[in-house]
Amino acid sequence: MLNSFRCKSRRFFKLLPRAGWLLLLTTVYIVFSSTWSPVEYVELGEAQIVQTTKPQVCVHTLLENEVQELKIKRSLELVREMGATTIVQFFPWAYFEPSDDKYNWTQADIIVRHAKNQGLRIIARLGLVPDWARPATSEGRATTLNYLPEASFDDFAEYASQLAARYLEEIRHFIIWNEPNLSFEWGYRPVDPAAYVRLLELSYRAIKDANPQALVLAGALAPTNEMPGSPAGLNEFSYLREMYSSGAAPYFDALAVHSYGSTEPADAEPSADRLNFRRLEFLRQIMVEADDDAKPVFITESGWNDHPRWSGAVRPSQRLQYTIKAFEFAESNWSWAEQLCIWAFRYPAPLNGYPDNFTLVSPEFDLKPIYYAIQDYARGWERGATGWLPPPEEP
Amino acid sequence: MSVRKRLALSLGLVVISSSLLFLFASWTERPADKSKAFPRGVIVVGVDASIPPFASDDGQAVYGLDIDLANAIAGTIDLPIRFLNIGYYGLYDALISGEVDILISALRVEEARMDDVRYTRHYFDNGLLLVTPVEKPITSLDRLAGQRVAYEFGSRAETELRVLEDKNEAVTRLPYELPTYALDSLRLEYADAAIVDAITLRLYQRRFADWRSAQRSLTRDPYAIAARHDNRDAWRLVDGALAALKENGELDKIIALWL
Repeated sequence: MLNSFRCKSRRFFKLLPRAGWLLLLTTVYIVFSSTWSPVEYVELGEAQIVQTTKPQVCVHTLLENEVQELKIKRSLELVREMGATTIVQFFPWAYFEPSDDKYNWTQADIIVRHAKNQGLRIIARLGLVPDWARPATSEGRATTLNYLPEASFDDFAEYASQLAARYLEEIRHFIIWNEPNLSFEWGYRPVDPAAYVRLLELSYRAIKDANPQALVLAGALAPTNEMPGSPAGLNEFSYLREMYSSGAAPYFDALAVHSYGSTEPADAEPSADRLNFRRLEFLRQIMVEADDDAKPVFITESGWNDHPRWSGAVRPSQRLQYTIKAFEFAESNWSWAEQLCIWAFRYPAPLNGYPDNFTLVSPEFDLKPIYYAIQDYARGWERGATGWLPPPEEP
Repeated sequence: MSVRKRLALSLGLVVISSSLLFLFASWTERPADKSKAFPRGVIVVGVDASIPPFASDDGQAVYGLDIDLANAIAGTIDLPIRFLNIGYYGLYDALISGEVDILISALRVEEARMDDVRYTRHYFDNGLLLVTPVEKPITSLDRLAGQRVAYEFGSRAETELRVLEDKNEAVTRLPYELPTYALDSLRLEYADAAIVDAITLRLYQRRFADWRSAQRSLTRDPYAIAARHDNRDAWRLVDGALAALKENGELDKIIALWL
């Protein structure tokens, strides 16, 4: 018995070096396979043209965080098939210039290549500050990715210029920042229209130097009722007036605005103290008063949300009806509105909150009824009633 | 003793002693430090007060299920509390930048955020339910084939129904404009089953207290509380308080008050 055990032990230890090799090879395989991935090769396919009867239809895409090229391609195919001519796409500075003067355009190149191939016009939205361009903390708190110190305005403008130069043919519209009238979007600081105008001027000059044909969009202003002095931001009317009084007019070619319907129908009367779709008519009035109404307005975010609990949401059936009415209303009444862009086409992954209910397509590429409704409208299709039943009646 | 035997013995001893050390460390973990967890001496809670009945804002104060839960947690930890009403998009930034200590805001657990955030155990599950009459329960999803199923048009119930149909045979679809219409349809026997979320069903049952239904869970949608990843003490205190509230039935009472 003891001899047999010894014999087995000897055999085990003889095998140990072989087992060691096996272990080493397994480790190498695991490390190699987890760090190396095959180069994804996605064919562009034939160049496409958007078939649409409504050229103002546009959507905001979020492809900067989409890992798989195939999904970027699929998203843009679906945008085109829906009949949208244009996308608003975020080009985050922090992603594409991770170190000072060291650019990595890989993701941007993929997005631009596929958008161009699908025949889509790109409106580039710029923002998001890399670590190297902002202090780690301010007033004892960590700075956020929206914190742009004035000392880095030149660096931001340089990034805008590099982007404009790289995509000379493909991108001609640039939005400088996002919702600068909200303190959250201004790095949790009090909003500062005069500082924003200085950023706008630097960016405008840099972009025009790189591409004189480019159009610079100011804003995009968020709809909000915040009064002067509020820690949360400043209403878009006061903000735009302050922009004009700070000398903004020569430094933008169009105004970008966000116009959400909230819980009201698309044609509800505009109101300065309620958030609704037509509220932006007051902004237009300020442009007229500033003798700046030759410039168009781009509605770069819009839409309704159909989350079942959020207080700013409507039911999915209402969302569908209000959205189509919004397109019709803008087409009939707002000749100055060049695009109406729906927020948002699709998120790469769920956000697990009410913002998920702004999308037209799920992360898994399920097309929501709202997608089909916009497609019918844009392409002039009569699909018949997409329907729901009348409320059940008590017998 | 040969070299090989010594090697094997040493390896064994290392493994055993490491395991014992790990067990000892876990067993003797120091108690969570309140002053480290909440250095302001007050628990600052970030909330998006736009998700009734979890949190709303009447202009004077925030109120709702999450607010009652936060107050109960603060009572258990024995610290005062302050609420900061932040929009959804600013919630996690406010937590990470230290503006607030924890988030209690009908938050769903997000794996992608777990490098920055620790979530507690869940306190409510708003998953989708397959609701059927109590006298005719559909015990297996296979038996859904050919049945009349009511749901809200364009909602996640519709998406889930599509998933069910992919796995089973088709059903007769009854889409309605409101989820409550779907439940009306079931109650009035136009439908054999309805798909709604847990909140909708609980609120409906308050209106029709005599109506009885059977439910089967289709999806999970757990809500939890978030603390900063580097503030383990806050997470331990809040999770511990939540466990105590679950244990003593206080959490159920708070939920029953609002849902």
